Amino acid sequence: MKFRALRWIDQFVFALFVSIFIFSIVFPFYWIMLSSFTPKYELFTVPPRYWFSTFTLENYQTLANSIPLTRYFVNSLFFAAGSSFISVAAAFLASYALARLQFRGANFVFIAFVMSIALPQVGGLVPLFEVFKATNLINTYHGLVILMSSLVLPFTVWILVPFLRQIPYEIEEAAIIDGARLPQLFWFIILPIMRPALATMAIINFIIAWNELVYPLVFATSGINKTLSVGLVELAVQPTAGGGRPWDLLSALSMVMILPILLLVLLFQRMIVSGLTRGAVK
Amino acid sequence: MSSPSIPASTARAVRFRLTQRMRRSVLIIAALLLPAVALRLFTAVYPFLNTIWLSFHDWNPAFPPKQFVGFKNFQALTRDIAVTSSIDFTVLFVVLSTVLQIILGLVIALILNRVFPGRGLVRAINLIPWAIPMVVAAIGFRWMYDVQYGIINDLLHRLIGVRVPWLIDFWGARIAVIATNTWKSAPFVGLVLLAALQGVPQDLYEAGKVDGTNRISAFFYITLPLIMPQIVTIGLFMVVWQLAAFDLVFVMTGGGPGFATQVLAYRIYQVAFTALNFGYASAISMILFITVGIASVTGLLLFRKVEVSL
Repeated sequence: MKFRALRWIDQFVFALFVSIFIFSIVFPFYWIMLSSFTPKYELFTVPPRYWFSTFTLENYQTLANSIPLTRYFVNSLFFAAGSSFISVAAAFLASYALARLQFRGANFVFIAFVMSIALPQVGGLVPLFEVFKATNLINTYHGLVILMSSLVLPFTVWILVPFLRQIPYEIEEAAIIDGARLPQLFWFIILPIMRPALATMAIINFIIAWNELVYPLVFATSGINKTLSVGLVELAVQPTAGGGRPWDLLSALSMVMILPILLLVLLFQRMIVSGLTRGAVK
Repeated sequence: MSSPSIPASTARAVRFRLTQRMRRSVLIIAALLLPAVALRLFTAVYPFLNTIWLSFHDWNPAFPPKQFVGFKNFQALTRDIAVTSSIDFTVLFVVLSTVLQIILGLVIALILNRVFPGRGLVRAINLIPWAIPMVVAAIGFRWMYDVQYGIINDLLHRLIGVRVPWLIDFWGARIAVIATNTWKSAPFVGLVLLAALQGVPQDLYEAGKVDGTNRISAFFYITLPLIMPQIVTIGLFMVVWQLAAFDLVFVMTGGGPGFATQVLAYRIYQVAFTALNFGYASAISMILFITVGIASVTGLLLFRKVEVSL
């Protein structure tokens, strides 16, 4: 009798915890979504409305009319996809050398590589700006992609090296006995085995690059190369008439920025979790 | 997964020949490492070294050339209230955020580690704050913290009848920024700690039960010591990472009111790209480098101590 009561309390407390957890995570997202579908004049009411009163798409329309939305979206897409591809490709090559070709100092290079994650991004902006100006890399896709893929490289190498070490040597040996050279070995043996890990890191790096603010903010100063994150920040910090904030546009643009990412998360949840946590458990 | 067609001795011989050949082909190794190393040297190591060099110069790109000024920038640092107060809040922001993220992360990990209906969905939901851009989180919460139209004040008003001038008030703004930062990253920490929890062998709990542990003592005497290495690792990672981040503060409060929520990283950005004082910005960066350096070295030493292998 007593045990049953205890168990009931236990389950009740647990359910309470889970509900609070779900509520606090989902609510801000719900709030942004609700605001984006609410007409502007209804956003500024006291008390605020907790449910759809008038459903409208006019915020999105106003948004598309006031900033080059498609342009920014395409820029974000190129920036994120390019950085994702370059970072995974470079990390894959380097990880293979670090994990497989036992050269003197391989471990040192690996640790130096991973530790370079600690060099603060914001501390290097000034010299980078100087170099980028001198080499005409400002406001170019490749300039931004170079910066971004380098930023996520250490983490990618950190995840890929242990993964490569797990692959049994015998597979490569068999291929070498059959006469495979390094390019064939890469293309026909290693790449297929690594495909899940590489895809995982590509998705994670895509999300990180899509969300990135600092590099595009500093190095994409013309409208032609701005990303969604920069567009969002410009809307958020620019002074508007009357001192208020354009919440209608901000929430709509936020939704545009979140939705592709949410789709990726829902589709590849398992892969993303395994990639993010692989570093934590050996 | 050994291939049965190759005898072990042959395999050994091949492996020997393979390593021999590879060892000689420095070219291959260099070619494989080149893209990654070049990227890191160009965008991280070189700027780092150059910033140290620049910090001893007076340099405004609008008025070239650079001038060597010795320690002038550093002397100015000590008298700059914008910098000293931003150090204050940076420390508070990073330490408090990280501690809260670890505590809440542990709670989240413990929740997600239990078996209950809908766990898969809840785990997916847990990824949302990590996946949402910091910029969006900052904007969303700024809207929610709005004094007049914000949802948080409305809820507070309904529940306990008060309204807090969140982002206008010194401590209100600080609390709001730290809370938002915690919201953004606690689930990620929880994810990492969940992976750590899953690595704890179940028979330890069985053994503990025999010795008379209940759920709470099992947590403190079995779970916590075993996942301590991962807690330390993720904690230091969060410290180093959050020291350098400024997008949240930039969008949510702009460092205000006054300098209440100013962080070093944002100050560096402002001095460099609003005031165009490149030399002085580099000097402020040095504070950041030293702090990150201390945190990283501590991390490495602890890393050795707790014997986590990569």
